[in-house]
Amino acid sequence: MTTSVAAAKPRLRGPLTYDERVAFLFVAPLAVVLMAVAVFPILYSFWISLFSVKLTRPGRTPFVGLDNYVTVLSDPQFWYAVERTAFFAVLCVVAISVLALLVALLLNEEFPGRRVLSAVLLVPWAIPYVANALMWKWIYDSNYGALNGLLYQLDFINSYMVWLGDSDKTLALIANAFVWKEVPLATILLLVGLKTIPADLHAAAKVDGANAISRFFHVTLPSLKSSFGLVVVYETMMAIRHFDLFFILTEGGPGDASHVVAWRIYVETFRNLSFGTGAAMAYILALATLALAYAIIRALARKI
Amino acid sequence: MTVVTTLQAVSRRNFLMTAAAGLGAASLAGRAGPALAAEPINFATWSAAVDTVKSHIAAFEAKTGVKVAYSNSPWAQYRETMITKFIGKAPVDTLWVSDSWLPEWAEAGWIAPVDQYKSLTDNSDVDQFCVDSMTYKGKQYGNTYYSDYMAFIYNAEMLDKAGIKTPPQSWAEVASQAKTIKDKGLAQWPVLISMAQESWLIEFMTAMVYSNGGRFVDDKGNAVMQDPGAGAGPALRWLVDAVQKQQILSPSCVETGELAVLKAFSSGEHAFGLIPKYRLRTLNDPAQSKIAGNAKIALMPAGEKGSHATVGWMRFYGMTPRAQADATRAADTVKLMEWFGGKADGEYKFQKMLFKDVGSGFGVKSLFSDPEIRAAYASYGDVDLIGKQQSLARKKDVVTPWFGEWNDINGTAWQQAIMGKITVEQALNNSAAKWTELKKQS
Repeated sequence: MTTSVAAAKPRLRGPLTYDERVAFLFVAPLAVVLMAVAVFPILYSFWISLFSVKLTRPGRTPFVGLDNYVTVLSDPQFWYAVERTAFFAVLCVVAISVLALLVALLLNEEFPGRRVLSAVLLVPWAIPYVANALMWKWIYDSNYGALNGLLYQLDFINSYMVWLGDSDKTLALIANAFVWKEVPLATILLLVGLKTIPADLHAAAKVDGANAISRFFHVTLPSLKSSFGLVVVYETMMAIRHFDLFFILTEGGPGDASHVVAWRIYVETFRNLSFGTGAAMAYILALATLALAYAIIRALARKI
Repeated sequence: MTVVTTLQAVSRRNFLMTAAAGLGAASLAGRAGPALAAEPINFATWSAAVDTVKSHIAAFEAKTGVKVAYSNSPWAQYRETMITKFIGKAPVDTLWVSDSWLPEWAEAGWIAPVDQYKSLTDNSDVDQFCVDSMTYKGKQYGNTYYSDYMAFIYNAEMLDKAGIKTPPQSWAEVASQAKTIKDKGLAQWPVLISMAQESWLIEFMTAMVYSNGGRFVDDKGNAVMQDPGAGAGPALRWLVDAVQKQQILSPSCVETGELAVLKAFSSGEHAFGLIPKYRLRTLNDPAQSKIAGNAKIALMPAGEKGSHATVGWMRFYGMTPRAQADATRAADTVKLMEWFGGKADGEYKFQKMLFKDVGSGFGVKSLFSDPEIRAAYASYGDVDLIGKQQSLARKKDVVTPWFGEWNDINGTAWQQAIMGKITVEQALNNSAAKWTELKKQS
């Protein structure tokens, strides 16, 4: 008994076996590459965040410790950007979750053309983010955009409307473009979840007299919790750190209507060339995203 | 046996020492020898008129025997690209520089004054605002590449239909004529001015501010934009009223960039526009514009306390300290800068090529009397009026090392005021506060 327990313990010291050495040899090149392109930049950017690095002041990069973090966290503009980011993320995640569920339920049914519809659904997902942003820029343009053209021809509006230039609409319109791109992936994830629900569960519920709505709320939805968890965590992370649409559609404007955190990081780092505070801001965003994802996973895990 | 003995006599240490010495000597010889001198002049530009630049380089190489390594990168990322190159000590000898970046780059030591090269600083034929735009702290940092100014352009056909005989002379007249045009149903938004957050924004703003008799900062570099008497208030208020009260300027101006303004104006749906002067050619090109032949330039309307002043801008050939560190390289670089920014074979060849190719403006006064230029201008514009407006152009007063950082804040403040989110006073106070903060930090 003692012997078997000892054998099960992982070996902590001692020379590597032949197999371990070979394995190490095979893994080493990739490990070196990962160290160079991922680990080193991550650590180096943290190092930079401890200095006052402004590229336009070469040779003057004093160590400031955590001052950059204090500066960022005490800046009201940063907190305004956090508020905008939170609004955008909530809007996107709720919309994506609801729409993806509806589409997944549809595609889970048998009907003519289901396969074609499934294939078409993937198109937005396959479009690169930048192309997606440019496409929506054309659609939303107030002077010659397709949206105005369509609404005008359908007699829904008497004159062309201002879309992205209206600060009350800007974030919702950007969210719409983001949702359009992200719904397919969320749908696939939920569809996979739907396929794994045993047919017996629905059959048993039917026998018990449950109607379609009851079956949806008492069988389908509870069975999709883990898939929903994945969708919510992934889309929250994507929405919080999203940048492309803000860059191409509005450049943070009009005014400060779309000043989200990712946009501020870009401006601070690549326009103001303040790499120290930019890196600090990026670290704060990364840690906040990590904490949020962890909290969502924990919350969902408790309910599953 | 003898061979073996000889090999044994050359120990491993001796062999390595000899080899190292040999490599070292070869390396030193390479550095000191013709390799450096043979290195081409490194010339960096943004991606404009690339073929024209290449052909002019080819002519330079053929004439002088000096080789040029040409590279270009998009305008939108040019500043960041060049700064990264400077930081990384990439070889750059001469380059295109925007007047907006001069203080920043000069303070960082990335470009060097050229006062010691007399051929580059003969400004007798150069417009004063161009000389001012290339000068920082009393030193000149290059010679002219291209310059232009913000022009007031109107659609003559639309004015004619509205029964308006002469284009507006003041901003008050712009508003009243635009209202007439709107009331007659000729245009929903008669006025077209870009207020989008992009690099052009400061030029649009400054043209409005100067013509209204205001300034952003005084001669000492202190913020006066918030000053009710001498600041930017009248210009911003006119814009706010045009959008909010008179509704002659679309609220979408905050998302309409310079290029979109050009396209919109060429569609014939607008009467008045603030547009860079060199776009006049495109607006009068039947292949590109519905108002070809009807896009006319007028002097910038004057504000109540203003004048017909406008803003001019400047792009010039700068020289790096790297080029100046070596006498031969410096001399070759100066030759290249002269070839492009000055005269080549006795005439301003490159300026004329640019003008003919894309309609680019120039900072050389005598070109306004050049028969070829006059003939080309006459086909789409009033050359005398164009020259007169250029003489009233002034450099931007906000060009400082902290300009870029302030510009974002200022743009946001103006947009917020135009959208009615904050008052004109709040916008200008916010902008002035940021300016003062950045000035102190510098």
